[in-house]
This record gives sequence, structure tokens and C-alpha cells, in this order.
Amino acid sequence: MQAEIIDNIKFTTLSPDTIKKMSVAKLIVADTYNEDGYPIDGGLMDQRLGVIDPGLKCKTCGGRAKSCMGHFGHIELVRPVIHPEFARFIYMLLQSTCEKCNRVMLSKELADDVKLALKEINLNADEQKEELLFNDIVKKLKTLKKCPYCGTEQHKRKFERPTFFYLNGETIKPDTIRDWLENIPDEDLISIGIDPKATRPEWLILSVLLVPPVNVRPSITLESGERSEDDLTHKLVEIMRINERLSQDIDAGAPQIIIDDLWELLQYHVTTYFNNETPGVPVARHRSTKPLKTLAQRLKGKEGRLRYNLSGKRVNFSARSVISSDASLTINQVGVPMKIASVMTIPLYVTKWNIEAAKKFIMNPDYPKALNVISKSGIRKRVTETNREDLVASLEPGDIVERQLMDNDIVLFNRQPTLHRLSIMAHRVKVMPGKTFRIQVSAAYPYNADYDGDEMNLHVPQTLEAQAEAIYMMQPKNLMLSARHGQPVFYAEEDEIAGLYFITKGDTYYTKDEAALMLSYIGIFDLPEESENGLYNGKSIISMLFPKDFNFTGNNLKGPVVIKNGKLIEGILDSKMIGEKGSTLISKLFIDYGPDFIERFILNLTKLSLRAVYKRGLTVSVKDYLVTNEMINERERIIKEVEDKANKIIEGYNDRTLDALPGYTRKQTMTTLLFAQLSEARDIAGKYLNKTMNTTNNAFLLASIGARGSIMNVIQMSMLLGQQSVRGKRPSRGYSGRVLPYFRKNDKDPRAKGFVTSCFFEGLTPTDFFEHAMGARDSAATKSLVTAVSGYMYRRLVNAMMDFYISDDKSVRGSGMELIQPIYGGDGVDPMYVNVESDK
Amino acid sequence: MAAKKENEISIKNVDVQYGEPVGVVAAQSMGEPSTQMVLRTFHSAGIATTISSGLPRVIELVDARKKQASPTMIVPLDPKIKKNYDAVKKLAKKFQEVRIKDVILKHIENLKESKLELVLSKSKMEDNMLTEDQIIEKLTKKFSGISIEKKSNHLIISQKKAKDIHSTRIAFVHIMDFQLSGIKGINKAVIMQNDDESFYIFTSGSNISEAMQLEGVLSESIYSTDPFDVLKSYGVEAARNAIAYELKNTMQHEGVKVDFRHMGLIADSMTLTGTIIGVGRHGLAGTKASVFARAAYEETVKHFVNASIFGESDPLKGVSENVLIGKQIHVGTGLVKLAIKKEDLKKIKAEE
Repeated sequence: MQAEIIDNIKFTTLSPDTIKKMSVAKLIVADTYNEDGYPIDGGLMDQRLGVIDPGLKCKTCGGRAKSCMGHFGHIELVRPVIHPEFARFIYMLLQSTCEKCNRVMLSKELADDVKLALKEINLNADEQKEELLFNDIVKKLKTLKKCPYCGTEQHKRKFERPTFFYLNGETIKPDTIRDWLENIPDEDLISIGIDPKATRPEWLILSVLLVPPVNVRPSITLESGERSEDDLTHKLVEIMRINERLSQDIDAGAPQIIIDDLWELLQYHVTTYFNNETPGVPVARHRSTKPLKTLAQRLKGKEGRLRYNLSGKRVNFSARSVISSDASLTINQVGVPMKIASVMTIPLYVTKWNIEAAKKFIMNPDYPKALNVISKSGIRKRVTETNREDLVASLEPGDIVERQLMDNDIVLFNRQPTLHRLSIMAHRVKVMPGKTFRIQVSAAYPYNADYDGDEMNLHVPQTLEAQAEAIYMMQPKNLMLSARHGQPVFYAEEDEIAGLYFITKGDTYYTKDEAALMLSYIGIFDLPEESENGLYNGKSIISMLFPKDFNFTGNNLKGPVVIKNGKLIEGILDSKMIGEKGSTLISKLFIDYGPDFIERFILNLTKLSLRAVYKRGLTVSVKDYLVTNEMINERERIIKEVEDKANKIIEGYNDRTLDALPGYTRKQTMTTLLFAQLSEARDIAGKYLNKTMNTTNNAFLLASIGARGSIMNVIQMSMLLGQQSVRGKRPSRGYSGRVLPYFRKNDKDPRAKGFVTSCFFEGLTPTDFFEHAMGARDSAATKSLVTAVSGYMYRRLVNAMMDFYISDDKSVRGSGMELIQPIYGGDGVDPMYVNVESDK
Repeated sequence: MAAKKENEISIKNVDVQYGEPVGVVAAQSMGEPSTQMVLRTFHSAGIATTISSGLPRVIELVDARKKQASPTMIVPLDPKIKKNYDAVKKLAKKFQEVRIKDVILKHIENLKESKLELVLSKSKMEDNMLTEDQIIEKLTKKFSGISIEKKSNHLIISQKKAKDIHSTRIAFVHIMDFQLSGIKGINKAVIMQNDDESFYIFTSGSNISEAMQLEGVLSESIYSTDPFDVLKSYGVEAARNAIAYELKNTMQHEGVKVDFRHMGLIADSMTLTGTIIGVGRHGLAGTKASVFARAAYEETVKHFVNASIFGESDPLKGVSENVLIGKQIHVGTGLVKLAIKKEDLKKIKAEE
């Protein structure tokens, strides 16, 4: 709800007069509280600036700590100082104006050019260009030797960071600069693109300093009863103290040099008051050497006001807990612990149609009950034993009853890092015992979650608009396809794939009892077609999940899969069919039968497949990795084969028969070839295992159907670890000429450069162990680096493109209606539905 | 049974919806999988150079870096010569940049007498189809202040006017670096074969404008991985495609599936102004109309200060600034407004 609409926000600088008008108090005492802990009048905590102590009243508006929003004060500086953030701009103005008549040194011809350029800028309302134009003008003007108006010869201006200016080698003080800037006529400023109404240059030389209200810089009372002031207050105290001393010294007629010193000190404090990270200025620090957080630091960066408090905010109506999996929930549901459901509330907007229901909630002493009632006038009352009847009696349409979370309420569920929009989805509540959030096993993928202690957040949308949006646009069942590539983001994983394999592999038969039991778990009370042997084939059981008119052909990892009229005729449902390697089946079912069907389907699929695994039992044991004599021989053969080839390359390099690859030197050629050759050892071992192992080996079975692990795990367990890599090459550093001190210098043996020939099952030799650790360390280090680099790229991308949206003519527009694409993607098709065969 | 309504086809409309925040979706589609990409540039044996890939390549493209780590060109050839290996080989030689230092065996610098002695290599010269006389001619044409003496396969170069050691040395370095033939910036040209047995030239380094002038090159269809080079020779539309396809290739190489529309949108927004701008602080994100959006992104104080000098006003049209001030954003469901007919409103009021 928007009461008032802000159309635009204009930025200007404050003139001394404006500051005085804004100010409610001129501050004169460089102190905060007196001995009694009471704010000093005219001090920095003056009660006219607002109050933060609960007992006191604001002397300007009469409000208390909570109701008074604070008022500005001001300090009159005895000597003007330069606003450090504008120093560069002041310098540019000095360069482009005459040192005598102070007019902008634009010659007639140049002035006409600039006028034209400005006109165009104003036409396009592109104020950013003004800045560039101004920079260009200054570049031209600063080279001028003579003022075109009064003919005065110009001397060199110099600017030294942070706030020192020189004319012809001599210092010019802020008061002189102010006189100079004051003299620049308004028309001249307009002619170079500066708006004198927004900023008169002399305003940038501060003679009056605005003091923010007390609320902006509250003091904290420590446990010991001591008061600790805000960094800004500290800085302001120091400014006032120096200001006072300067004023006394001037009155006492102190020598100029002392006054100048103090003046410079005042300038330093004002500079750090605005920005404590100004280049060329020593950082102002606490006694604990912690740098002070002054105005610029408050706004800046990730923890600054803009990004930490305005772009993102803390919220109410949210909960966080550990997640665990539950195979009996649908992907659309989330299990919410009773403890959380009884604390979180959802507003019930009372109308004449639901007033009775609302009353029931208020009267209910136990869950589900109403916790608060908010009357039309906005007064919130807690529902208690005693006031229950009164609240019911006075309840009328327009009131809001806040009731506890119940089954089927819509909530948002989120896991950080929130990398894409599927990281926040809307689920239906299912209140459960226990203390963790429960989600369907398959719902973890879009969140990139697992159940090893991950925590997730839950938010309860409070308005009907928010709830409607969540229901229609954010439910997992509607978000089956990813906007990134149009493929399903919910699919079977791990145990489910294993279970489906057992069911569909063809020679699995269940007795009538078993089949009936399995199907009854998913709410199907019919039996499938009986096989010839009087039993029920797994394929016919799984077929019960498909609609009767469903036809499908596709390929799994091994061969074709055919479903005809809702019956699985041929093929195994493996991870290429229904899992992470390409869930074409799920995609097809979703496209043809819709969200509600797919929600049920995934639930049934999970239940059925898990039941099948329970039934058969599945475990990976030591036996699966046992190294047989045959394997040892094969390993030795592979090592010998690879090492022979490697040695041949080395020999070729030594007797110069090895030719360099294009673009490489011979030495580089040798190292690349060696690395490639030695890495091949694992592939050869993989081929061997693929040939000799069969599905009686559970580890191999799981890898081959894509349920868990890969053939690489088996290779590294029972064959060899293979060539290790550090920074994409063979390990080479450590000691001079060798990787570990246990090798000879310049050893040509591949094993001396990270070719690990032992396996996990038999254990690594000490040198192998260290070489393996080098590779592992390298990949761990790179991983942490990638997240930082990619995170920043991501932020830049989002910031650049977040304003783009689809306009009503399917064109892509930016925030200023600028045309990015005439038709989105060239065809106006949503990437979510690229795999859908549309009717068009 | 399972399906509620059999034969129901749920997705009929595949069109992108009004208000869809396609920019954010595109950014997310690139950003989310980028955490899974490798940081290292790949060395693929067989091809002329290291080809940068993975995350660094994506960042390089999206940032619109003027100096690319490893630009390459694929140069298709005229049908007349593309099956003739010798002709192609001859052409490839014309690509490869040859400098003085590439045709000598060794060189002796005598700074005292400001003399540079070059020992030319016959085989290297032949390799690059150069003769001594050609080299001398080219050198004298380029460097006016030198005299060249020829002694068998030695070239003795001396400065006509004696200069101090420092400038002599610099002059010698320039001479050693002098380009005799080939195209500037191309340090390798390799002949590659298509499936149909025709040849094409693959180069490391990119310079379309000069490559298209060589005879036998299909000048209108050179592919370059350097968008700026494409921009210079083929214009901004081609540059847009270059960015989009390079992004696509990089993502594909990493095995990450991203729809082309997302990459197309990124490329389109980068080439919006008629030239290539990056997405960062000096590009798209840093030149937004809104002061708040820029301030919230990077260099907060600078943007506020400049805005006040020029009296800028924030039109509050974009997403970032409306989030900041707490208004509804102008994309997605925030874009639509609810309207009700006056008579309907009266009806409702009357009912109450």
C-alpha cells in the first residue's frame, strides 16, 4: 500500500543559510553530558536535537524518545574549511575561472559549442552526461593563458590532496577561495552545466557545519553504567573543541602561525568527519586504534546503509531450522515443527463471510488458536484467557485476527546462498512433530541442499496479494522446469534410482501380496496385469503410475525405453531417464499432464522406489572393492604400458626426435604430452573394470545406473589413484629439482611427479600419500577462490540487468523504456518452455 | 488413477509473459552455474595456443576487456584454394607475424660503437619467404637514421648519428621487434581441416581488418573470438553475436546448460549503445540513470557528490532505487495495476 507516491528525488547541496534555517540550535559547548548524566544545553546532546533517554522530552517538539525523530543543529566555524568530498570539483572550478575577475573563461566560440551540447543533454534529461561535458570543458579551459574577459594572465593552480590549493606556488586559504567562488556569476555556472540553484560553489566551503540529530548518533550505555558515545559524536566534539580554541586564539591575537596550525587541524577533523578514508589523510582512530566510522563509512559498501539497511532488511514472520528429508511429503509441501507453527501467525482478514471462523479461532484455547486481534483502528491486542469473550464480542468485519500456522497455509521457503529464483519457493505447510523442517527428498536439488545439517528459512506472507503471488507463481509443482535451460529441476536421485532399477530391470517379480502392499502404500488398490508365472512383474507395477494414454520413447544410459499406453514395455528407468543425467520422462509427463499430476507422480515414484530398495536391501561393502590377483596383474600391466609410453616421450625429447606441437616449445610439448599420457592410466583402468565387473558388485551397479558414485570411485579404490595435478600440471615444486625429498633430483620416473600407483584399498605409500594431498589441497584452494570470483561477476551481472522486463509487445525494455531487444530472444519464447512442442 | 484429467495438455502457451524480469533471470542463469566452473585456463594440446576458457573467459567477455587473454580467428578460405594444401600453406605464411628476431640466429649488440650485428638464418628466412635484400629494403624504409652493411649472412646496422647509449639501445630493441611480414598481432597461423577435407586457417591472435584483405580469404565470414575486433570490422550487430556465441561456447565447454536467449540478452544489453560496454562499474551498472541505483552498486559517495553538484534528480524508475525507498518495483507483478469499472464499484458499495 502506497499512501504517497514519490515521483523523483533531487540532489542538491546545502547553503549556509539553509543549514541555519534547518537548525534548531547553535551548538557552543564541546561536550555531551554533565556529571549527572544529563545533556548539556548547547552541547552535542542538546535536548533540542531530540532525546534518546526514555525519561526526557524533546525541547523542540515535545516528543519522547520513540516519537521524536530528531532535529538538526549547527556549529559555526570561526574559519571556513573545505568540504573534502568536493575538493576536486573546487579545483576544477578554480582552473576554469579567471584568477582576477573570477568569470568562467569561456570564449565566445566555445560558449556556443557548449550551449549546443547542453541543450541536447537537457533535451534527453541525461544529467550524467553533464558531468562528462564539464570535465571536457575544464580540460580545455585549464590550458588558457589569458582570461578572455579581462585579459589577466593566468597562473598555475595546483591542488594537493586532500584539501590544499596553490596559486602560482602560493597557498590559497579557504576564505580566499570562498571569495573567489562567490564571485563567479550564476550565468557563467549555467553555461558550463552547473545548476546554481542546486549548488553555489561557495557553499562547498563550509562556514557552518550541520550537526545531525541525536537519534542519528545515539550513545550506548555499557553494562558498567558508563556511556559510550557514537563515532560521529566523538568527531563532532573534536571539531567543536578545535573551533573553540581557534576562536580564543584569534581573540587573544595569537601569532598567525599558531592560528594557521589550528585552522589546518580543524580542516583535518572536518575532513575525517565526512570521510575517514580520504586518501592522503591519516585515519582518525579510537583509543583502541579501531578506525572511526564516519559519514562516508556509514553509507559505503556491503555493510553500509545502502546495501545493508535499505536494499535488504530484517523481517518478521520468519523462522529458521535444520532441514531433514521426508519421503511422504510431496515436493509442494514443507513439514513445519509444531513449535514453530504455534508461534508464527498468518493474518485472517475478517469479513462478514468468515467472521464465524475467526471467532472460533479466538475461542479456541489450544492449537489452532488466534494469538492476536488487530482492530480496525490498528490496535493490536493479545488473546488471553481473560479477554477472549470480549474480543469475540467486539469482533467485526475489517478487523484482523492473527492465527497460528495451519496445514495448507502457503509459506516461502529459502536456502542461502540464494543464487537463483528457485532458491525461494512457496510450499504448503504440513505441521509435524519434531524440530526440523521436512522437505521431500527430491525438493533439495533446486535449493542445492542436502541433509547433513543444512538450515533453511521460512517466511509467512502476510498480505493476500503476497499469498496469491506465492500460490500462483512460486509453488514447486509449477516450477518443474528451470528457466535456465527448460529441464526439470525435480527428479529421482540416489536410492530412488536404485529402487527404480530393481523394479524395472525386467526379471523382478513380486508375489500378489507384495505387489498389493507396495501399491497400497501409494494409494493404489488395483493390481496390475498378472504375468504368466502368476507373479507380478516390476515393470507392470511401475506402469500403474503412468496415465493410461501415456506414450513415450527415449533412451536411457544403455538403450531404448518404450512406454506404450501407460505401460512400460522396454527399458530400465535410470538416471538418464528420470534422474540428474536428463529427466526427459519427468519433463514429458509435466508438459502433458500438468503440475498436480507431477506432484503426485513424484511422490508415488519416491514411495514406490524406496519400498523396492527396502525390500531387496542394498549396501556397498568391502567386498565390492576387493582387489583380486587378476586386478593386481592388470594394474601392473596398465602402469607399465603408460610408463613405457611416457618414457618414450622423454626419450624422444632427449634425442630430439620429439617434434614440438604448434605454438609450444619442445619442453612444453613434452610436459603436456606426459601429463595427458599419464592421466590416461585411469581411463584404461576404467575400461578394464567396465569389462570385468558386473551388477553383482553393488558399487559398480550404483555407478552404472547413475544412482551414486562413479566408476572413478571404484578405480581409485581398487586400482590406482592415477596422475595428480597441481595447477593443471604435474606437481613440480617443493624442493629444488624434486617434489619430495625422497626422490632423487631430476628423477624422470613418472612416480616422482605425482603419478600415484597405489590405491585406497591397499593403502597409499608415503610418497603417494603426499602427492595425493598436494592435488587435493590444490583443488580445495581453487574451489574457495572460484566462489569469490564468480560471486562478484554475478553481482555485476544482476546489477547491470535487473531493470529489464518484457513489455506488452514482447520487447525487452530497460527502466527508462530503452529498447534492449525488439522481441525477447528473437522469438518471444520463454526459456522455461523451450523443450515444449508448442501448437504453433 | 493418477492423472486427474487425462489428455489434459497443461502447457499451451510457451510465450514469455508480460513483465517477466528477463534481465534478472538471464543474470541468474549465468551466475548460478558459474560457481561450478573452473578457474583455470585450459591448455589443449594440438591447437596453436592456450585457449582461455571457464570462468575467466566469461568474466573477460562480460567485462568487455579490450585486451583479451588469447584471441583467435577462424579464417574460412576461398573455394578455389581451400582444398589445395600448398596454396593454403602459402596463405597461412602470410598471416603469421614475422619480426627480425624471428629470422636471425643470433645478434650482437655493440652499444659503445652503436652497432647491431644480426646473423641471419637462411632456413628461417626461407621458411617465411623472405630474402636478405627484402629485409634490408624494409629496414631502410622504416628506420631512416640507420645504415646497413652486408657481410655474407651478417647484417651490420649502425646509427648514422651517434646517440647516447640509452636511445641507441631503444632503437635496437625497435629494430629487433620490427615486423617484416605477416599480420600484426597474429603470432601463429595453423592449417586445420574440415570434415569435408577442405582446409581453413586457425590463428592465435586476431586482426580481422588486415586478414580480410589477403587474397584467398573469405573476407565476409572470418570468425574471431575478440568482440572488439569484430566490432571494428563487421559492426555492432556482429559484435553482439560474437559475444553471445563466445559465451555460449564457453558455457558449453564447461558442460553447463544455459539457454541461448540468456546469453543473447546479455550481449544485446552490452551492445545497446552501438559500441561494446561491460557490465561493471564503468559499463552498464555504472551508467544507469538512477543516482540511487549507482550509489547502491559501487562508489557510493562519488555518485552522491556528483549528483548534488549537477543537481541531478533520480527518476525512480528502476528496481534498485525503488527497493531502497520502499516502493513497489516496476517489473513482474509490480508492473500491473488493478482497474475496476466505476459501475462495478458502485454495485459493490450498494451491496454493502
